[in-house]
Amino acid sequence: MKNSSDERRPAAPGPAAQAGAASHVDPLLERECDVFVRYLSGTAPSDYVRERYLAAHEAGVVEPRGGATGFERWIVRRASSATWLVRALDAHQRVFANGSLLRRKLVLLLALLEVRAPHAEALDTPTGSSRAAMLFVLAWLGVRFALTVLLTTLVLAPFQLAFKWEARA
Amino acid sequence: MKHVVVVGSGASGVHFAQSALDNGWRVTLVDVGRTAPAAELPQASFAQLKREHPDPAGYFLGQRFEGALFPGGKGEYYGFPPHKGYIFAPLDGLALRSRGFDPLLSFARGGLAEAWTGGSFPFTPDELRDFPFEPERLVRYYGVIAGRIGVSGAVDDLARFLPGHEHLAPGLRLDAHSEVLLGAYERAKPRLNRELRCFVGRSRSAVRADEREERHGCTYLGRCLWSCPREALYTPSITLRALLRREGFTYIPDHVVTRVEADDANRVKRVHARHVANGAALELDAPRVAFAAGTLASSKLLLDSLLAHGGAAPTLTGLMDNRQVLVPFVNLALLRKRVELDSYQYHQLALGLERDDPRHYVHGLVTTLKSALIHPIVQSVPLDLASALWIFRNAHAALGLVNVNFHDERRESCSLSLETARDESSTLLVRYEPAAQEPERIRSTLRDVKRALRQLGCFAPPGMTHVRPMGASVHYAGVLPMQREGGDLTTTPHGESRALGGLYFVDGSTFPFLPAKNLTFTLMANAARIADEAFGR
Ligand SMILES: Cc1cc2nc3c(=O)[nH]c(=O)nc-3n(C[C@H](O)[C@H](O)[C@H](O)COP(=O)(O)OP(=O)(O)OC[C@H]3O[C@@H](n4cnc5c(N)ncnc54)[C@H](O)[C@@H]3O)c2cc1C
Ligand code: SF4
Repeated sequence: MKNSSDERRPAAPGPAAQAGAASHVDPLLERECDVFVRYLSGTAPSDYVRERYLAAHEAGVVEPRGGATGFERWIVRRASSATWLVRALDAHQRVFANGSLLRRKLVLLLALLEVRAPHAEALDTPTGSSRAAMLFVLAWLGVRFALTVLLTTLVLAPFQLAFKWEARA
Repeated sequence: MKHVVVVGSGASGVHFAQSALDNGWRVTLVDVGRTAPAAELPQASFAQLKREHPDPAGYFLGQRFEGALFPGGKGEYYGFPPHKGYIFAPLDGLALRSRGFDPLLSFARGGLAEAWTGGSFPFTPDELRDFPFEPERLVRYYGVIAGRIGVSGAVDDLARFLPGHEHLAPGLRLDAHSEVLLGAYERAKPRLNRELRCFVGRSRSAVRADEREERHGCTYLGRCLWSCPREALYTPSITLRALLRREGFTYIPDHVVTRVEADDANRVKRVHARHVANGAALELDAPRVAFAAGTLASSKLLLDSLLAHGGAAPTLTGLMDNRQVLVPFVNLALLRKRVELDSYQYHQLALGLERDDPRHYVHGLVTTLKSALIHPIVQSVPLDLASALWIFRNAHAALGLVNVNFHDERRESCSLSLETARDESSTLLVRYEPAAQEPERIRSTLRDVKRALRQLGCFAPPGMTHVRPMGASVHYAGVLPMQREGGDLTTTPHGESRALGGLYFVDGSTFPFLPAKNLTFTLMANAARIADEAFGR
């Protein structure tokens, strides 16, 4: 999916594109990029953001130190199927594995979104809600986060055990 | 014409060199001297860069994404722009190991202050009590340096801790958040002053509002962290550029000095260096040498020289650095407001806490958050990233940070020594142990800072205060203290080594005490003082 305002910009291929990286694009990475950006900004990524996201993977900066575990990769695969799942798994990882593969991918995308207009402005504009509404939303975000972490912990526990078991075997 | 060889082009080196030249000396400055890349889109503001730069991720995050901060890192709230990587790039062959200390060195033209935030705070006579001369001999050089670099600020409630001096220009236009904080301070002042002995005022910064010589005035581009393209924010490479046009000045970049050689009377006679790329040896005859390589590198040079001269390298004790604690805060009056990106980016206010012993003054730099990369901050909010982002959008204009600085004293347990290998290469060992009373000092001070913030209408979110590791403030000092009389590992009031005559230390190595204030303004003043007093006409 293309972002129309980005299309009006003069073409500015990043180094990965110049080196022909686009020729072996990983469709799974593209898909997760789309879903994760929708989760963060509610819009689709521009071509530029997508291309830089792929380049970061090529550059090897996304993997956590020591490499991602099987469970972390599985979490990323699950998360890339829907935005509500990203939120749930992100909340879980924020508490239990802040430096995990999913968190690193999301933070990388946030960094890419914030440096490029028009995403940058959108990410940095107040939502315009009243003070009371803001307090209400804040409380709601906190409660939702706590409930989500609780629920995902219960749901993910057997999978986590299975991955641990498999790794040991 | 008398001749001095200076090692290092940082804040200390260039101001020493300038004064020595003014006094009629011939100056040769040897430096590793890595150079900065050219400024990109110099007229563009922070927001314009995001719109107009053809590869903004390359600019802000780097081609290898080295400017992106990932979760689980060191807990800092900002990373260094990739194009500033040259400032901190390590030097092959300079080995260093540390315990309890995160050392940072620079081998750039202009040194570490190519990345500084410009805070320029004079020491008080109390803070200069351990310096072995009348404070006035140093204090008058604050005006000299301010005249050279341009310092802006005000003589206000903080003057009790930050004395006024000549050439102090009016402060820059305040950003909206700093103005709100200053207004709140005026209202809460009686209680803050009385109950907490807390004072707030304008910070002092090496930034010009007016055009002078080749530098332009600040036009509030908001990209100070990414290197001011107008040179309104002072860096030592600006002075170096001016020195290059002066008669009697020779600059030898791309060379790493390895040691000085002394004669039988223990007086320096030669400087040994090698080319950084091809290793070719360079020897310079010099009856006088000034080390301005920064406390760690200058100390290593001395130890390597003593090792070559007498066969043993002693341990230097008394390494100091300011402990810094970062206290993020939210100003409730500014929630849901739009952030003002076109502002000076660094601290515009400072906060001082008076203590019973005036030397234990606590210094806080108050930086309101304007233009900044937001991903390091958003990821630190203890929520999922989308919720954290929602909060950030509504709180950006309300966010700020107090960088609380603590004083340090010389202690035996904080030291620099040398470890030599069979191939005769040496490694600098840095050891630091905080004072026993430090945890309590930090706890009680943070309590006061948070109470002060509450009186200013702000609150400090729990769990977000970050105690930076020692070494992070990069205010290194103290291993070769200036003393009226002392042993071989001390220096004279002119910073001359008592181990090797004719060798001067004109950087922080010789400070006998480190108040809570950033020291670079005093480094420059002291370097100019030594040049005038020991390298006069
Ligand atoms: C991010 C940041 C923010 C800061 N903010 C402030 C602030 O607001 N206020 C403040 O007062 N201070 C600040 N500082 C600290 C300040 O930058 C340093 O105190 C100051 O730059 C030290 O200057 P110096 O000349 O003594 O040494 P350096 O800056 O370390 O300069 C050393 C010089 O020596 C050269 N050199 C080193 N070894 C050799 C060798 N063997 N041979 C040849 N050349 C050599 C290097 O190339 C370099 O030119 C900050 C530092 C950083 C990193
Ligand atoms: S705001 Fe910073 S970057 Fe912009 S002109 Fe002023 S000092 Fe330079």
